[in-house]
Amino acid sequence: MKKNLLKKVSAFVMAAFLATAATGCGSSSSSTGASSSAASGKKTIGVIQFATHPSLDNCYEGFKDGLAEGGFKEGENLTIDFQNAQGETANADMIAKSLAAKNYDMIGAIATPAALSAYGATKNAGTPVVFTAVNDPVGAQLVNSLDNPGTSCTGSSDVLPLEAQVKMIRAFLPNAKKIGVLYTTSEPNSISMLEKFKGVAANEGFEVVEQGVTNSSEVASGATALAAKGVDCFNNFTDNNVVNNLSSELQAAKKAGIPVFGSEVEQVKNGCLASQSIDYVALGKQTGLMAAKILKGEAKASDLPVYTVEDATPVYNETVLQEMGLSLPSEYQTAEKVTSAK
Amino acid sequence: MDVFFNLILAILEEGFIYGIMAVGVYITYRVLDFPDLSVDGTFPMGACLTAVLISHGMNPWLACLCAFFAGTIAGGVTGFLHVKLHITDLLSGILVMTALWSVNLATIMGGKATITIFNSNTIFNSGLAMLLPNAAAQFRVVILAAAVCLLIKYLTDAYLRTRSGLLLRAAGDNAQYVISLGKDPGSMKILGLMIGNGCTALSGSILAQQAGSANVASGTGMVVMALASVIIGTTVFRKAKFMRATSAVVCGAILYKACLAGAMQMGLDTNYLKLLMAVIFTIALVGNQITLGRRKKQHVDPTKI
Repeated sequence: MKKNLLKKVSAFVMAAFLATAATGCGSSSSSTGASSSAASGKKTIGVIQFATHPSLDNCYEGFKDGLAEGGFKEGENLTIDFQNAQGETANADMIAKSLAAKNYDMIGAIATPAALSAYGATKNAGTPVVFTAVNDPVGAQLVNSLDNPGTSCTGSSDVLPLEAQVKMIRAFLPNAKKIGVLYTTSEPNSISMLEKFKGVAANEGFEVVEQGVTNSSEVASGATALAAKGVDCFNNFTDNNVVNNLSSELQAAKKAGIPVFGSEVEQVKNGCLASQSIDYVALGKQTGLMAAKILKGEAKASDLPVYTVEDATPVYNETVLQEMGLSLPSEYQTAEKVTSAK
Repeated sequence: MDVFFNLILAILEEGFIYGIMAVGVYITYRVLDFPDLSVDGTFPMGACLTAVLISHGMNPWLACLCAFFAGTIAGGVTGFLHVKLHITDLLSGILVMTALWSVNLATIMGGKATITIFNSNTIFNSGLAMLLPNAAAQFRVVILAAAVCLLIKYLTDAYLRTRSGLLLRAAGDNAQYVISLGKDPGSMKILGLMIGNGCTALSGSILAQQAGSANVASGTGMVVMALASVIIGTTVFRKAKFMRATSAVVCGAILYKACLAGAMQMGLDTNYLKLLMAVIFTIALVGNQITLGRRKKQHVDPTKI
């Protein structure tokens, strides 16, 4: 019995000692930092961005603008600890836990996986979490309802304008029958969007053919396989993995001679034919304004309703339009025009 | 001080949870000398199965048990592939890991990649956990995780002292000896793999309840973490004669997590995290070789102990 006790005690002591040794230098500086910031009215927040791609980058830019407009300028009275999870959920979890341990005034999360990690890590501590670019906050159990979150989370949601997108596809390709969708099987947003899309597409007389991929190396072969199924075009969702590997998808589509409809203006700039684009900078800005309110203490996260973006701007790529030999439909004559950077 | 305290708490929580997996991998890697890569698939299987069961209202402790049994089945398949079909150990693990991706996604999760259980009853916010006073609320996770980890550790130690456990050790060390005893080393290997993967699935189950969500992709890199914990644990605590190997690997898991968390606190860019993991692992392996003084021997030479 004594030997067991000795073992248990030594296990704890060694673990604690080694943890002390590992974190001694770092923690002392960060703890003094936190206490001084609280004293002088400065705020420190942590931000987790799930992956690096233009939509999420735009969100972050907008977020900072929104915070500045709300009275918190980075460098003056706001310090932002920005971390990028590089598209991996395990990274997001680790980052969230380390941010949570630092007791920041708030955590910002860009994209659903980052939001889930952030909420899971701060649930007990009650640190407010402000998310952006989350498709379905209610389904992800981040909030109880869009109007009344009731939890320590709030933020903005980017539900894709699927009906408008399908109408646009129909307008550009009046004779098309099949839409191909390339999505990543481990992204919950894509899966829920796919289900909704199938229903919406059927209304316009389309059949949706899907192709799931599991990681970035499969995007090229997945796109080729999808093209071989005889689809008339591709359509993208806000799938982090597919959007990250857009060039592979575009190459495969080009070989098959079919256009790709993107989900955001940056994708159209990079070679997609057209998109009903959500303005992610504006979305981020709204989120930043909400975050500023919470930081100032004017509102609590549980009472601020989730902001859902309503408008989508049609945008098309002139260069791709001409390459494909298509003509601009009359309804979209006033749509925003971009050209590919050659 | 507050930050430091939170950090230690987080490290201990994760260390104990991954420690369960480390005990399982200790059995397969150290005792049986079987590098089991199916851990990458069994870990998310435990997590996903638990999330699905809990979201349907099952008692969370029962869900943990179900996850353990699911892990044993996966381990059994790996063992079957290796022992009966004579596929090499590495490849059997890889085959099971690959197959489990589809099983996890299609069968268990029903096509959904992530399931959140923030609003469901987990072992950390219902039942036994409620017995702890409210003042100790923030310690709930670490106490329960430590309790489960130590329970698994003691059960494993007890098992390794039984006749079956001794045969298991023998099967990993000297299969000829087991055959000469009239027993089948192959079935011992399958049993060892079942236990190992069961522990891994249990670890995944508890992590999912702690994090509040389960993701099919959460298993990537788990084998590295588990192996690193086992090797760091056995290397660092080699000289501590009073400590059993199973305790050493749990401490190894805590140590490994501490190094990673410490590095992040000191401001390491997350992009370099994987490099750091590789460096720590290499140092542990080299340390292993140095303290051994020789390369790992196939048998023990009685004149050289």
